[in-house]
Amino acid sequence: MHIPDGFIPITQCIVYYIILIVALYFSVRWARNNLDEKRIPLLAVLAAGIFAIMSMNMPIPFGTSGHMVGGALVAIVFLAPEAAVLVFTVVLLIQALIFGDGGITALGANVLNMAIIGGFVGLYTFKGLKGFVGNYAAAGIGAWLATVMAALACAIEMGIAGTFPMNIGIPSMVLYHFFIGIIEAVLTVIVLVALDKFRPDLLAWNDESAKGDA
Amino acid sequence: MDKKDITLIAVAVVICIVICALSPYIASGDPDGLEKSAEDAKLPEDFSVEEIKGIPDAIFPDYAFANAPDNQLLQIVALVIGTIVTLGLGYAVAEIVKRRN
Repeated sequence: MHIPDGFIPITQCIVYYIILIVALYFSVRWARNNLDEKRIPLLAVLAAGIFAIMSMNMPIPFGTSGHMVGGALVAIVFLAPEAAVLVFTVVLLIQALIFGDGGITALGANVLNMAIIGGFVGLYTFKGLKGFVGNYAAAGIGAWLATVMAALACAIEMGIAGTFPMNIGIPSMVLYHFFIGIIEAVLTVIVLVALDKFRPDLLAWNDESAKGDA
Repeated sequence: MDKKDITLIAVAVVICIVICALSPYIASGDPDGLEKSAEDAKLPEDFSVEEIKGIPDAIFPDYAFANAPDNQLLQIVALVIGTIVTLGLGYAVAEIVKRRN
């Protein structure tokens, strides 16, 4: 769901950039209080892994394809959507500048959808459901819902931009991402299972201090 | 960085390189959800809501698929470079913003 240059008028891009700057302010503040030395490699490999997996478009019905995004994954691993904002600002900046994937003018909107909306929806769905269905099912549902909600937000932004109307954009985006979200859910759970098996110390949900609010 | 972290990075890099090496061969070339939605709305291929000037050209447009659609090796190289650059920038950003005691 990378929005390219030209899909959002510059005046609206500026609004999304302001949202990005505010989000980065809170994310840096979160990192200064919470990003341990031992989780620096984790943040870097999540960024690299998300970059790589985004090249792997998988077929879904309707002659469409989609790839994992990873906003929910990062937010759940760190129990902080702020971490997703940091990771996605890095990934989307490189994709826009070097690979022309997602517009540089649309960077703010793309971070909003994939990291802020994806991260918040994924993390809080996870937190709300984990007591009922367990960590992995909650993370999978969170990742699926994060994908659908980010797509819905993207369709609304396209409507506001005048690129395509919401009465076409919302049903199309939600329908395709209903399926893309399944890919997101499966891969999110696989990464979480692997981390919990090999590096449980890196998962914030295993932290003693996080148990109270996680 | 201790041994466990080096292992984490090494394993992640290997997984990423495998993904990068497979993508040019097995990734679906069908439009993604947003492109398909734009097609559903009958947007022309080169649609632009307004002209935006001064955007630098990407070095590997569309991961080198645009310039060299049949050169899978170049695409793999482009993806691996992107992965390594992302890893490095991610590490640098994390190092800069990490917790201060």
